[in-house]
Amino acid sequence: MTPVVVAKSLTKRFGDLLAVDDLSFSLQPGTVTGFLGPNGAGKTTTLRMLLGLATPTSGQARIFDKPYAEIERPALRIGAVLEATDFHPGRSGRDHLRMLGQAVGVPDSRADEVLGLVELTDAAHRRVKGYSLGMRQRLGLAAALLGDPELLILDEPANGLDPEGVRWLRDFLRTLAAEGHTVLISSHVLAEVAQTVDQVLIISRGRLVAESSLAELTARVGGSVRVRVADPSRLAAALHEQDLQVTAGADQALLVPGASSERVGEIAFAAGVPIHELVADGGSLEEIFLELTTEAQT
Amino acid sequence: MIAQTRAELLKVRSTRTTIGLMLGMVALILLFTLLTGLLTHADALTTRENQRQLLSLSNLAGVFSALAGVLLVTSEYRYGTIRPTILFNPARSKVVAAKVTAGALAGIAFGVLGEAIGWAIGYAILSGRGITVVLDSGDVLLLVLGGLSGVALWGAIGAGLGAIIRNQVGAVITLLAWGFVVDNLLFGLVPSLGRFTPTRALDALVGLTTQHLLSPGAGAIILIAWTAALAAIGLALTTRRDID
Repeated sequence: MTPVVVAKSLTKRFGDLLAVDDLSFSLQPGTVTGFLGPNGAGKTTTLRMLLGLATPTSGQARIFDKPYAEIERPALRIGAVLEATDFHPGRSGRDHLRMLGQAVGVPDSRADEVLGLVELTDAAHRRVKGYSLGMRQRLGLAAALLGDPELLILDEPANGLDPEGVRWLRDFLRTLAAEGHTVLISSHVLAEVAQTVDQVLIISRGRLVAESSLAELTARVGGSVRVRVADPSRLAAALHEQDLQVTAGADQALLVPGASSERVGEIAFAAGVPIHELVADGGSLEEIFLELTTEAQT
Repeated sequence: MIAQTRAELLKVRSTRTTIGLMLGMVALILLFTLLTGLLTHADALTTRENQRQLLSLSNLAGVFSALAGVLLVTSEYRYGTIRPTILFNPARSKVVAAKVTAGALAGIAFGVLGEAIGWAIGYAILSGRGITVVLDSGDVLLLVLGGLSGVALWGAIGAGLGAIIRNQVGAVITLLAWGFVVDNLLFGLVPSLGRFTPTRALDALVGLTTQHLLSPGAGAIILIAWTAALAAIGLALTTRRDID
């Protein structure tokens, strides 16, 4: 399939600072990708170049096989949110959407529709000044959805949201993904997007340090599961059958590297082995994320 | 371009800023016309030029239409709405052109209101003081139509200036210093050069005959040239610069 988004040797230099350094990646249609990296890694700069707001020092950014600025009425194919705070405080949420919609011939009724989608109908006529951060994030999303786009690019959409807001966002993005949208979400917290994305791009200091599916990344998690049972040999045999490595631990426990506690528990249950203790030792997605991004800095 | 201009006009209408500017304009025109009309000696107000001066005070509307134009552009940078605006229409030159056009159209609204207030008060004062209006229809036509188009052009000039100086405070200060100080100084010190400034071009356009001013036609051309030059520079800069 033709990729939806292609970055080819994308580079941006601000004076002495190399913000984005020879970055290449592509996104297939229908995928949900987490664009991860610590603050200041160059995520926003990359997105700005993809969206034609900043000119690359060298390299290319193409969406639907064209530079963003050459796409006819791009809002009808691409929805993007760069900052959660991009509103005039004295303008109502509805008027914000109307003024954007009018520029691309989207009727005002569509503004009301997307306000409903993000559950802002009641606040539609209030000035943005009185919106909470969560409401502003949702209004930004509503603006991105105005043109009913097939690709969504969201920069730190969960930033500053309370847990309820994060959950709402996760469900919302899952719905969009299920409808077949291609989504690119940036975040500096892997956990924020881990339950939403299929694959991750991890950058640090402007360079791509990892590009993998979430499953691959999970497999790279270095930790192991420690399990203590009444009949270790029977469980060891069952684990071997599932192609898992088993080593003997202290106190008659078994160590299963590279497995999740859920998986080991299920295998033990299927083998009819009662579990006395089941512990996931060390290693988390967050740790590998930190490891990957700090390696690049040294 | 037409759709974008409609969107820009919605931006002008959808905040209270425009109403605030209009109220400020009405207050200032009222104040200046009243002061000038009531404090000037009755004999002095019988001359054609002085009557023109009194009735052209409504051109103060130009300052406010220019401010509206400046804010139409700089508010977008101040509040970050420039990002969605450009994402929705990446043809930046068209966005700037639409803003300049919207600035001029909003300027017409400022002009109509300003002229109406200025003329109503000016006429009331002259007739109240028993002074005969000696302006002929040509004078009145120049004052009204020249004032209206001049105030509209100032709206466009404001938008152009905003596209050049994106910082809102910087752009507003530049505009006020330019309109109230620089042009006056230049005209006072070097009138041969100062008469080409946009404020003096507007004076010329409405038919004022202060010494050294250009003819109304030349004033119109100079004012249009200023508008075009600022719009062109703003357009070129907006196309070239990154949007943060």
